[in-house]
Amino acid sequence: MINKDISSYSSVFSKDYTELRVQENRSINITLLNGDIVSNDSSAKSGVSSRTFKDGNWGFSSNPNISDEAIQSVVKSSTDNVKFLNKRSSKGCGILLPESITDYEFNYSSKKEKNDQKYWIEYLKSLDDYIISNYPKITSRTLVFSALDMEKNLLTANGSKSFSMTPRSHLIIILTTEKDGEPIRLMDAHGGLGQLQDNFTDPKKYFKEIDKQVQYLIDKANGIHAKAGKKEVVLDGDLAGILAHEAIGHTTEADLVLGGSVAGDNMHNQVASPLVSLVDFANSYNGNICPVPVYVDDEGVKSEDVTIIENGILKSFMHNKDSSRHFQTNLTGNARAFSFSDEPLIRMRNTAILPGESKLEDMISSVEDGYYLMKTGNGQADSTSEFMFAVTMGYEIKNGKLGRAIYDTTISGIAFDMLKTVSMVSNDMKWESAGMCGKKQPIPVGMGGPAIKCQINMGGR
Amino acid sequence: MENREILKYAIDELKKQGADKVSCSLSNSEKKELNIEHGEMSLFRTTFNSSLSIEAFINGKKGSTSINKVDQESIDEAILKVIELSKSSNPDECYDIAENQPPQIFSCGSNEADLDLMYDSLSDFNEHTKNKFPKIILEAAILDFTKTKTYIRNSNGIDFEVNKGLYGFGPMFTAKDGKDTSSFNYTGFYAKNISKPLHKYGMLEQLLKETEEQIKTFPIKNKFVGDIIVTPDCIGDFLSMVESHLSDFMIISGRSMYKNKLNKSIASNKLTLHSHPKSEKLAYNYFTTGDGYACENSTIIEKGVLKTLLLGIYGSNKTQQARSVNNGGAHIVEPGNKALSDIIAETNKGVLLSRFSGGSPSDNGDFSGVAKNSYYIENGEVKYPISETMISGNIFEMLNDIKEISKETINDGSSIYPWIQFSGLTIS
Repeated sequence: MINKDISSYSSVFSKDYTELRVQENRSINITLLNGDIVSNDSSAKSGVSSRTFKDGNWGFSSNPNISDEAIQSVVKSSTDNVKFLNKRSSKGCGILLPESITDYEFNYSSKKEKNDQKYWIEYLKSLDDYIISNYPKITSRTLVFSALDMEKNLLTANGSKSFSMTPRSHLIIILTTEKDGEPIRLMDAHGGLGQLQDNFTDPKKYFKEIDKQVQYLIDKANGIHAKAGKKEVVLDGDLAGILAHEAIGHTTEADLVLGGSVAGDNMHNQVASPLVSLVDFANSYNGNICPVPVYVDDEGVKSEDVTIIENGILKSFMHNKDSSRHFQTNLTGNARAFSFSDEPLIRMRNTAILPGESKLEDMISSVEDGYYLMKTGNGQADSTSEFMFAVTMGYEIKNGKLGRAIYDTTISGIAFDMLKTVSMVSNDMKWESAGMCGKKQPIPVGMGGPAIKCQINMGGR
Repeated sequence: MENREILKYAIDELKKQGADKVSCSLSNSEKKELNIEHGEMSLFRTTFNSSLSIEAFINGKKGSTSINKVDQESIDEAILKVIELSKSSNPDECYDIAENQPPQIFSCGSNEADLDLMYDSLSDFNEHTKNKFPKIILEAAILDFTKTKTYIRNSNGIDFEVNKGLYGFGPMFTAKDGKDTSSFNYTGFYAKNISKPLHKYGMLEQLLKETEEQIKTFPIKNKFVGDIIVTPDCIGDFLSMVESHLSDFMIISGRSMYKNKLNKSIASNKLTLHSHPKSEKLAYNYFTTGDGYACENSTIIEKGVLKTLLLGIYGSNKTQQARSVNNGGAHIVEPGNKALSDIIAETNKGVLLSRFSGGSPSDNGDFSGVAKNSYYIENGEVKYPISETMISGNIFEMLNDIKEISKETINDGSSIYPWIQFSGLTIS
């Protein structure tokens, strides 16, 4: 634990704006491959970093040691680094960052007693035994427990202080069967905010989830290739979440707007159907804690919800201090760093499309010839708002009824065009809490949404 | 304790506490990193890190941990933790560590960053881009120098030292004209020294020029089955899909399409793919396998025939097949005989694919994704930059459907690739 008072170190700050962050990331990974333990690991990385701002430039330094000497050293080094840049260029002379003062502590450490690694190995074994006993046609089984605790202690020259401990833990099950000698795979992830002992109690609770996963896998093995081209589809809540993240979320991060994203030219324009509203929630939605709650960001700014699209109109971008200065707008608290040695970047927190009024079954029955897409894999955004993401489970829809399952495929579209085709939005909402976003650094994110009926480009044959 | 002594201490202590076999590494790194953000150099980072990794085996049971502290208390805690992890595990007779080998010191690159040269090179690149490609926005460009010293020891007596000092450069950019925006594009390279302007490395200058052309794009008119000519910047994505099927995890799980294909034809005889981690031609060398064996260069595919899997000790013992002499990567693809211009001239209908934004392929090799920063080819001519275009196919079928490999190659410091033309892809 690194929860200690670091406020006294403000005395070693130079007169320039400085952030000091002490951070530890602790991880657990246990992987069972066809019954054999191929990973049995518990690791930790911690250290201290300092970031200094002067005249439009930043200096950053980090060190794995968290001693008085190391802290003084990183503060000096970040100050020297910004001096190096300012000596070479004085273009940003006089630029000041907006000020923000927050003092907040949030700690999601488990109140339950910690189980040892043997307990979790046996947990996975019992799930593996269940699969072996009940499903002889499963040709390969991978079961993973992975957990990440991120603990941060922050002090800024403005006087902001925060301590946070944000854990996530997941059970990942990858099952494979064969069709005509070729492997067909389906992955499912469970868990979210909380440590392993919070999220996973009796392994028997997951037997039903395994039953469902196997049934989907069998359907998929007996499936067909999707037909390539523009199709009418119903995206389940899991896909709406990644749509919110990839298609719109990234294009409205203010650093990507400054980098030329098409969103920069569309502020206050109609970019989606009036049925679409999209919010990056800081920490809670409808009174419930989101998968990745952020109360204070890594620049010491109170994290606020950002309404990105309201009834189809583009309303705002996500910011760090520097971009809110540039755009002369309110701070949003979106600056986050993954590791002690990383500088904060503008990152999404819990990005979600808001629910509408339709029912999923009505949405499916309204499609004559299309697809119901249920589970997703990786995705990517673009400055043009042209997104893509993988679809790992789905069914064709024929005359309003679900038909055969489809093999893995990819969907894509220009978000600001595609979102205008949204014609129905379901009245429920799902959160995806295993998301990890990559943008120079990885970072845990939450994604959510209802089911959405729209037109989209499908990959396939 | 001195670095080597830390590893000796850890091995001795773990053996005293009951470990039968131990493997450890200690890495100390220092990175200097200059960042351009939105066309201005505005961030300078200096980071130090350490990584002590310990793997221990007790009665055939394995545990591992990694920390970034090297003080006595932290090391002792890590030792206790790895003993507890090993005892909590299940035995597997296929676990093992590398056999003893003669001590060696491996080195590549420079000892120290030339910070003034880094600043001037990045600054010149920024100016060059602004002057020659005024529609380009440099969203981010990172020039770094990373110096790493790694020690590797195990309880069989291995004692290796690896010293590396490399420059790395990665720009990401978009072109914009009024409200029209191109797709973002990116590239990167490694170099032992900065010996020329940054825009002259790899395909960077070409990509900047093309990205400006891609402000106006057009969807293809009709779905068709045709060729793709994959550029050196993009071909690594496809070869990585192939390589993943040679790994421990995919072979042991039985999910690999290559599990029974060793010494059999898996590709057109035009394709020869080497993994040369020790090549003098590459800046980014590596010298040891993940298990602690000194590396050798190898050929993965020779004239279409699969010559090696990429198994570590565990995968080798589990499947009773030969251990790989390296970790893969460090690719060098043998060039063909035809010029790229001739390959394009002989293409009836297809896509010049510069970047592929795709979903992870299925285990059977089916994949689909969006062609980014790419061009439509018809009747032997590059016609126009495209958008909203999907490419679908099967990676294993593609390897058998190689039509041509260019004689030109691009070296980005970590691989040397030509342009490769594949037929039979669905383009929609």
